[in-house]
Amino acid sequence: MLKDNLGLTLCILIAIASIGFALFSGDPYYVQVVIWVFTNAVLAVTLRFVLLIGELNIATAAFFGIGAYTTAVTSTILDWTFFASLLAAPVIAGIISALFGWVTLRTKGPYFLLISFAFTEIVRLLYTKTEILGGNSGMIGMFPPMALNDYFPAIAVTILAAILFALYAAERSNLGRVFKAIQNNEDIPRSVGLNVIGLKILCFVIASATVGLAGGVHAYTNSVIAPADFTFFVAVLALAYVKIGGEGHIAGPIIGATILTLAGQFLHSFGPYENIFYGAIIIGVLLLMPGGIIGLGERFKIRSIMGRNPR
Amino acid sequence: MELQVQLLMNTLQIGSVYVLFALGLTLIFGVMKIVNFAHGTFFTAAALIVSSVMIWGVDTAGMPIWFSYLIAFVLALLVVCIIGFVVYFFGFQHVLKDLNGSFILSIGLLLLLNGVYLILYGGVPRSIPAVVPGNISFLGASLTIQRLLLMIVAAIITIGLYVLVHRTKLGLSLRAVAEDQEAAMLQGIPYRRVALYGFLIGATLAACAGALMATVTPVTTVIGDDFLVKAFIIIIIGGLGSVLGAILGGLLIALIESFGGYYFDPSTATLAMFVLVIVLLIVRPQGILGHAER
Repeated sequence: MLKDNLGLTLCILIAIASIGFALFSGDPYYVQVVIWVFTNAVLAVTLRFVLLIGELNIATAAFFGIGAYTTAVTSTILDWTFFASLLAAPVIAGIISALFGWVTLRTKGPYFLLISFAFTEIVRLLYTKTEILGGNSGMIGMFPPMALNDYFPAIAVTILAAILFALYAAERSNLGRVFKAIQNNEDIPRSVGLNVIGLKILCFVIASATVGLAGGVHAYTNSVIAPADFTFFVAVLALAYVKIGGEGHIAGPIIGATILTLAGQFLHSFGPYENIFYGAIIIGVLLLMPGGIIGLGERFKIRSIMGRNPR
Repeated sequence: MELQVQLLMNTLQIGSVYVLFALGLTLIFGVMKIVNFAHGTFFTAAALIVSSVMIWGVDTAGMPIWFSYLIAFVLALLVVCIIGFVVYFFGFQHVLKDLNGSFILSIGLLLLLNGVYLILYGGVPRSIPAVVPGNISFLGASLTIQRLLLMIVAAIITIGLYVLVHRTKLGLSLRAVAEDQEAAMLQGIPYRRVALYGFLIGATLAACAGALMATVTPVTTVIGDDFLVKAFIIIIIGGLGSVLGAILGGLLIALIESFGGYYFDPSTATLAMFVLVIVLLIVRPQGILGHAER
């Protein structure tokens, strides 16, 4: 399989190199940047995963936050072990997303977009009003155990890379094909007896649980989380990564996340100009290169490097 | 009794601004099938212009307050129309009926314009002098005349829009396009021009709301963004694209905010709105007055 797919081999090599870098590099700042790149890539890829069924899911940001808060609560208040508290994140995010999806995925398009937006803002409001979650200032003190401290960056990158590969595999499986069929015309999968609503909820839960896990990793990476980290803006940036990289292929959001995260490191000092820059880039890419970077690549026929697009 | 009347007055006052804001959003959705996340920037632009022009007009030029407000109001609508035309011409007309594309475009605009406002205006909130001073009391509840005028003007604009949409030829073509764009084009309705008019009317409504709101609250560069989440809840409840739905939804949300905020606290009121939306979605996914999506 690896022989057929040069792109996948390349991605595996990059992932291994990143894990190695996180393990052996002495510079904590660059290690941090690598983790940020992977976290943003997961955010973008999970957002795109729900785009497979045709829905724009702003609640990606909410479930990232729910994962982070779950890990924070289980590790600092309930004193669970490191791996148990990490595992709690996708479980809780998955359960909440199943309930939320069960209600809201009966709607679609603009209604789902707006309701997921409102949900994100309401969940954030709940954090700020909940005493035990630290209110506006958030929660602190999520540290990996001493024995694992040196290996934590490598563990984080491994988990995040594994999420990316798992979502890639899910998209290329039969399940992924059904999701795309739902996007194209949901009446056709329904006509062959598939439970379309159930499949939509499944897609939504997979994306939310994985982004929840990334949130848990984020809590341990930062050691500090606050409600302001989980505004709808997280999903907006994730969408910018998807659009700039190109949504035709799973590599698109990953490339977009990498480029914009690295560019963002240089732009932090610009104050209000930072937002102007992001705004201008988003508008420019949307109007001038609708297919994103992947789209440009396809135009120049270097598509074979990415492997064939699953249909 | 006095308290209830006072809260009801509050409801009408907040509600009138919500209605104007949500009407623009729902009108743009109806005609263009897009959700404009940059709608708050029109509101903000108008409020910023009103406060800047009034402070200049009263302090520097020495004009009477009501006259400089009038000038500021007209100027605000004009500038917002120009901004609206520019963003439509260079942006939105390329993403008509494209939900994801328009979402990204409007978010990009939101970032860009908010950054520009912050640079031009600065981060300090400014209040403008009272246009019409004085209080009146009504059934024991006290109300500034200014807020009463705000409600009256907002009500007139809302009625005007209702008449425009339901009684004029332009309104007919707006409704026809919202109902079925292709059938409307087959009847000879120029879709792109109607979409532009719809967009400009929507932007102007937001500008009216912003110019009115500037009289009763301090103006900041993010003043419009606070209305966005509630306006979304309003148009989900009322049904996307429904004029009457936006009016009823706006008043309902203002009622919850006013009474819930008093008897419990503001965040409980916001939560109650969300619970209402969820319950409504289970019962009637297309909103109170919306049409079922096909």
